[in-house]
Amino acid sequence: MIAIQVSNLSKAYGFYRIFEDLSFDIHPGECFALFGPNGAGKTTLLRILATLQAPSHGQFTIFGQDGVAQKDTVREIIMLIAHGSHLYDELSAAENLQFALGLRGQAPSPPQIKRALDRTGIGAFADLKIRQFSAGMKKRLDFAKTILAQPQLLLLDEPYNALDHDGVAITNQLIQETLDRDGTVFMTTHDRDKATQIATRGGILKGGHLQLLSSEQLTTDAIF
Amino acid sequence: MPFFKTIRWVVWKDLISEWRTRETMSSMLFFALIVILVFSFSFSMDQDAARQLIAGIIWVAFTFTGIIGLGKSFTSELQNDCLESLQMCPAPKGAIYLGKVAANFLFMLSVEILLFPLFVLFFNLDVIEAVGTLLIIFFLATLGLSSVGTLFSALTVQIRAREVMLPVLLLPLAVPVMIAAVEATRGALSGDPFSFYSQWIQLLIIFDIIFTVVSFWLFEFILDS
Repeated sequence: MIAIQVSNLSKAYGFYRIFEDLSFDIHPGECFALFGPNGAGKTTLLRILATLQAPSHGQFTIFGQDGVAQKDTVREIIMLIAHGSHLYDELSAAENLQFALGLRGQAPSPPQIKRALDRTGIGAFADLKIRQFSAGMKKRLDFAKTILAQPQLLLLDEPYNALDHDGVAITNQLIQETLDRDGTVFMTTHDRDKATQIATRGGILKGGHLQLLSSEQLTTDAIF
Repeated sequence: MPFFKTIRWVVWKDLISEWRTRETMSSMLFFALIVILVFSFSFSMDQDAARQLIAGIIWVAFTFTGIIGLGKSFTSELQNDCLESLQMCPAPKGAIYLGKVAANFLFMLSVEILLFPLFVLFFNLDVIEAVGTLLIIFFLATLGLSSVGTLFSALTVQIRAREVMLPVLLLPLAVPVMIAAVEATRGALSGDPFSFYSQWIQLLIIFDIIFTVVSFWLFEFILDS
């Protein structure tokens, strides 16, 4: 089964076309890195795949489920880590995990939560309110969510932003674990050096069109 | 997806957040206290007029206080784009709506229960025999206001002028609830036989059912748009 199948996907705001006729497939076990200049539509494409926005034309499926007509089913198997951390300032790190996982129908035990926080390097801050977290700590907490949720498709919007060297290593390790269990990762990023450490394929979205890249092309400077 | 567990999680999150900040309850209480004081001084020379108008005064205070709480219900979801996570979580959207309604209902009813003794004190009301009936009226009217108010809070949260738009959209729809609540409260406070104002309580029940069912159904479309 194809993890992400995009067919003739277009998005326009009024007369302004963001991208048009995008078609590509991503298979389970692949990490796809999407590059492109600011305003190219990378985040818009990611938000469409995350079922937060509807495409203007075309269709896409996530593990065989239509992304528009069957978005409730799609939402059960995807997880998005975006610019906004999706965390509540007044709840602690552990409480935020309980709430987020609770809404996904999961009930992680306190030891499981502790392990997930330890793995992302913020175990010591389990009871600290998010209000007191830095941007990098919030990002790590988002990744702790994915450890517990184990989504089939992980959507990442600029995953390396705000992360220190260790944070980047942890992120790439968690991406690799997702791929190892036949999950799929789709990320948008400007950070080619960090992304190419883990991405198996990629693409450049520019001028509304997508140029697909193999893993070898990802490291070819002349293409970028 | 467990429907009732989702409701419980949303209520838990809203209550624990409010308990730690006390932002919503304190602003609601502060506003309501000002209303009580202003009306109390306005009618201090004319107790008969106060008794005639007290039901209306109570519900003006309760409704506008409630709007303050309802307005904050979804603005708290804007921080860190949490609204986005509610939108794309696989939980039933109707359960999220009912969780929000339950939290708003608890905030509003708690404020009303705290404020009502002040009305009794400042307006010298004799309410001992009517307390049970008044609690039923408060319960039903607050449920109606919170069910329709929660929907409009979600509808207006992404609008720049949401503080203005929420009351503008909500109040015309809340008028039937307010009228029924005022008439039932007036009957209870005047010591009328229950049969004299029971039709207003029946009306409140009908509005509660209609508002909750329609809002429950519409909420998914509003959250997804």
